[in-house]
Amino acid sequence: MEEQKYQQIIVPPAWYWLVKPVTRTTGHKDKRRYSPLVPCILQLYHNFLVPPVRQIYDQNSRMRRMSVFPQHGTALGNLGRTANEIRQEAEHSKSELVSDLVNLSAGARFQAIRSLPMSFNERKTVRNRVNSVKLSKTVLAADCRQQVSRSFRRFRASLASARQHLIIWQDTLKEIGGRFGTSVLSYFLFLKWLLQFNLFSFIINFCFITIPQIVHAPNISSTTGFRGLELLTGVGYFNQTVLFYGGYNGEEIVSKPVYNMQLAYFFTIAAYLVLCWVSLIYSMSRSFQKNFVLETGPVSGGAWRLLCSWDFSVVNEKAIQYNKNNLAIQLKESLSERLQEKNKMSLSDRIKHLSLHLLAWLLSLGLAIGSGAGIYFLGTDPELAFSFSHNPNNLRAEASTLLLPVVVSLINLIVPLLYSLISKIESYSNPRAKIYISIIRNVILKMSILGILCFYWLNFVPNSISCWESFVGQSVYRLLIIDFIFCLLGIFFGEFLRNVIGTMCIQSLGVPEFDIARNVLDLIYAQTLAWIGIYFSPLLPVMQVLKLFILFYLKKISLSLNCQPPKHTGRAAQIQTVFIALLFFPSFVGVLSMVAFTVWSLEPSNQCGPFQGLKTPFHTIFNWTASIQNFPESNWVWWIFENILRSELFYYLISLIVLVITYFLWQITQGRKQLIKTLREQIVNEGKDKAFLLNKLQNLQKERREMASYRPQDFDQTPHFNPNWMNTLPLDM
Amino acid sequence: MGNKQTIFTSQQLDAYQDCTYFTRKEILRLFHRYRDLAPQLVPLDYKNQPEVRLPYELIGSMPELKDNPFRQRIAEVFSEDGEGNMTLDDFLDMFSVLSEMAPRDLKAYYAFKIYDFNNDDFICKSDLEKTLNKLTRNELTEDEVRMVCEKVIDEADLDNDGRLSLEDFQHMIMRAPDFLSTFHIRI
Repeated sequence: MEEQKYQQIIVPPAWYWLVKPVTRTTGHKDKRRYSPLVPCILQLYHNFLVPPVRQIYDQNSRMRRMSVFPQHGTALGNLGRTANEIRQEAEHSKSELVSDLVNLSAGARFQAIRSLPMSFNERKTVRNRVNSVKLSKTVLAADCRQQVSRSFRRFRASLASARQHLIIWQDTLKEIGGRFGTSVLSYFLFLKWLLQFNLFSFIINFCFITIPQIVHAPNISSTTGFRGLELLTGVGYFNQTVLFYGGYNGEEIVSKPVYNMQLAYFFTIAAYLVLCWVSLIYSMSRSFQKNFVLETGPVSGGAWRLLCSWDFSVVNEKAIQYNKNNLAIQLKESLSERLQEKNKMSLSDRIKHLSLHLLAWLLSLGLAIGSGAGIYFLGTDPELAFSFSHNPNNLRAEASTLLLPVVVSLINLIVPLLYSLISKIESYSNPRAKIYISIIRNVILKMSILGILCFYWLNFVPNSISCWESFVGQSVYRLLIIDFIFCLLGIFFGEFLRNVIGTMCIQSLGVPEFDIARNVLDLIYAQTLAWIGIYFSPLLPVMQVLKLFILFYLKKISLSLNCQPPKHTGRAAQIQTVFIALLFFPSFVGVLSMVAFTVWSLEPSNQCGPFQGLKTPFHTIFNWTASIQNFPESNWVWWIFENILRSELFYYLISLIVLVITYFLWQITQGRKQLIKTLREQIVNEGKDKAFLLNKLQNLQKERREMASYRPQDFDQTPHFNPNWMNTLPLDM
Repeated sequence: MGNKQTIFTSQQLDAYQDCTYFTRKEILRLFHRYRDLAPQLVPLDYKNQPEVRLPYELIGSMPELKDNPFRQRIAEVFSEDGEGNMTLDDFLDMFSVLSEMAPRDLKAYYAFKIYDFNNDDFICKSDLEKTLNKLTRNELTEDEVRMVCEKVIDEADLDNDGRLSLEDFQHMIMRAPDFLSTFHIRI
């Protein structure tokens, strides 16, 4: 009888399953294996997917390594290994980590060190080791390069801390977030972001256009005395000032370098619009990347609500209690949904719902079209529209110019309330669908109003009034001011009075909730107006800055006094992305097309403004390129302009390339979705493997214990990890 | 930016800057917040790295944490001794992870540790029950608590072992983009 050294079969520790490579050859002939398509798909998309997926995978494996070793090791993980071996393993993985980090670039290295999931001291030791390795690697002559990079980093850090001085309202935002949560805070952050746009616009307009104009003041033809009404209507005293287009002159200012006012006006506004475009696209894509997930799967009720939705930034005791109540109610609702049978709607019910939806949509669109038509007829009423320009000194005529803005603001106030009444007759299966549909309807209303106004300004006004750009600027000014006044009235009536009514008179209504969607859409509307007005009135952003500033404080006060935080706080991040997207399209794109149309095809007025005498404002550029054609060193600019920017072939080629790239990226997205699905199936299979092998291990250990009690001297007492463990498993599993 | 401060050596400040998401100014401000909790215990001179550990009661009384249902778990997870008594390093680490600049994976990792009450690297049913009790306290009945926990495990457990591992949790976080803004404490 041969003594058989009984080799202990060790199941690899838990981490092994996650760190080993994805494609493994398996000896299992089990039927519950993945389809043969998986290796093909993995191979096909390997080249495109390796960089980002590998990063996540590496980081996860690093984190897993660091977290499971050694003090948190599970009993299974440390099974069969001595303390020495565990320590060695930890040391080995740490040195692997250090060598990983050393090979990264400086910026990526610091980001990686900061995001290591270990305690602070361990992170510091890793950082010190990485630094010493880097130091030992560099030659003495490259020491100055080290100095330079270190001082560059210090400079960047000091720049970041200097930027913090410029951050306003930090304490206020913290207080708002602490009491009302992050979704209400997002409104205020949006407001602050819009403020930055307007501030920047004001600074560059003031520096490049207004200051040269003020220094070389043009002849002001006639000034009426300052009457109080100018603040509201923008005419009269303000008419020929630098507030509006008409106050600017297109002459070349004779100074050391000749300063061409026409070019300055054109390029300043063009540069600002291009910067806005870039900034909006950047914010939109970053927000989209963070907040929209690739796989479509229901992120429903319980799990997400319990584990991911608790708002840690709320610090106010009452607000926390309120949130706890809300969470309990929502959990109960989701439980009762699960318990009830989802009652199938009969055909007649469905037809009824559909017809109600159709009716609601018809009503909403009808209201929007009706308001548009009303504004159009009011605007083109010849008496009303041009009475002021014909009698500039008539106070009554001046006041009548305020009629159109008041009507527009009234429509903006009342019709959304009608929309919310209309939506009460409909029934939605999904509360999010309700929010999105109401947002769409309001956007249609506001954009149709703005569209009608722009159509009126660009089609009828240039032919009827002498200095029409100033007229448009003044109209925009009036709209903005009246909108601000109505906003204040809205705060008073909508929030303060409603709170009083809700708490004292009709108890059932309760304290009003802060309606984020409506407020953000109002902000977007006002910002669209401000952007439209920049070409016609370069200093209009000042007004918008002042308005946003005052609005911030008023809304904050009204919030603390009158409102309560919203009950359904889910998916705030996705709605944020939708708002930024709405700011870009249709708002900014509409403005851009309007300004482009004005600059490209409309004839500027003859008596005033920087472009007087030209056929279109764009002819400035033609004149300029023609003038620099004569200089040999700037010939290339003319060449680029004439042959590339003015030829259509260039734009066709660019569009074609962009379309091809978009199609290509879309295909990659589809491939990744497929990969995610197969990886998910693989995780499920791994779980089953794990359970199976655990079972087997338990059985073997039971057998071993029984045999040990029978023949104790045959067994090797020191356990060791057999690296060929896979070969010891029987093949017929 | 050019401030002469005498609390830390410049190497210490560099190390803090490299290992957390804070700038110099914020680190000094946080040091003063830490010191304000117990001025007699925390010296003004950290150059020789004194061993100062503030007890959990002081940390839990900070206005940012005092009403948070998870304050004890947060302090335990970030403290070195696991009991909630924090050194300055732990304090900075805690607020660095909970700041808005920390990436999602790091936050998910620590959120997982916070919800893992028994420290076994898995969120099992008892952990979920404790979480639920901290978040709702007396509004749900026993039965409802049990059903909610079962539902959570059903939805989130991918490898079907009856409890949530770190990967399951991270997978759930990936599909909840609000997490980055809600797992955030401003200081």
